[in-house]
Amino acid sequence: MIEPDQEARIAFFFCQRLDPGQDKNRRSLEMEFGPSVVFYPMPCGGRVETIHLLRALEGGADRVVVITCPRGQCRYGEGNLRAQKRLKYAKNLVHEIGLEPERLEFRAVPLVSASRIDEIIRPILLEPWNLGPSPLRRVPRKR
Amino acid sequence: MITAVRKPFCEIREMVAPYESLLVVGCATCVAECASGGEKEVAILSSQLRMDATLRGKKLEVGETTLDRQCVYEFIDRLSPLVGKYEAILSLACGAGVQAFSEIFPEAIVLPGLDTTFLGQTREAGLWLENCRGCGSCKLQWFASICPIARCAKRLLNGPCGGSKGGQCEVDPQVPCAWNMIVERLRKFGKLELLEDIYPPCDWSLAQGRGPRKIQREDQAIETI
Repeated sequence: MIEPDQEARIAFFFCQRLDPGQDKNRRSLEMEFGPSVVFYPMPCGGRVETIHLLRALEGGADRVVVITCPRGQCRYGEGNLRAQKRLKYAKNLVHEIGLEPERLEFRAVPLVSASRIDEIIRPILLEPWNLGPSPLRRVPRKR
Repeated sequence: MITAVRKPFCEIREMVAPYESLLVVGCATCVAECASGGEKEVAILSSQLRMDATLRGKKLEVGETTLDRQCVYEFIDRLSPLVGKYEAILSLACGAGVQAFSEIFPEAIVLPGLDTTFLGQTREAGLWLENCRGCGSCKLQWFASICPIARCAKRLLNGPCGGSKGGQCEVDPQVPCAWNMIVERLRKFGKLELLEDIYPPCDWSLAQGRGPRKIQREDQAIETI
């Protein structure tokens, strides 16, 4: 579980279609967790590239989560599948350098009209997280 | 298109270990098409190298750039201002590109980041197939544009061998039988009589038989006065 005052940094890449009001709805989490949580809204999960995930880790994220709609629900056909494949590929690349692949996660969330991005992400933030800070962080963050 | 695959990361790590600054150079032509050495792959490998160095407590500066072509002087020469700033160059080009680069910058240490594999085509996203061996004497006019040298496991010029099952190769049932495709296409074009001819063996002296090959054309050369 991530408390607001903890050091953990989490990057969320997510499809904007999960919540058309995401720009407003994610503000409560940004206020609550501050710079520990960074959001990267995408027009479609298929926009996520392997390099985006690596750069997030390289930039010091402890955990990178990609959230898309489930298989068969992508408006653009297979953006969610592409995102999943690229994340799997990124896990292999991360494994090659000795970093835990579990720092990269994929989540499929049902596309329903009433969904809000803060309600999707909050339970993820409250989940137990055992890997701790990324060893890539060279300089401890200042509070 | 020349196809290639990235070398295993552990091999690249070992190659670059002696250096503290590295320029990763991609090629935006063939190896970009086969997703092994284009701009995206340069960015991915550079990111991996930087993270790996950090995890190992090693100092490593990694620069990134991609040339339109890494086998042509005019493109490689553009890196003149950059090359001297790095201890080594990690080239994500085919073997021809790596060698062209090291010829143009003879003082630079140029390392290969890819394993060059074959001449092929992009069949579909994520699938590349070998379909040319560069034998030096194209025979596709006899075989309905399907090369038995590259695509038949037995390289038969006077096929089929008879082992094909359901249109698939007996050596590898996952691969379509080239001769089955040749016969079907010749039938389609009403040219089955071509199968009656006896085709002589391939003259491999036109390939690597006489050492490295070269193509020289006066009409393309720059006149020196």
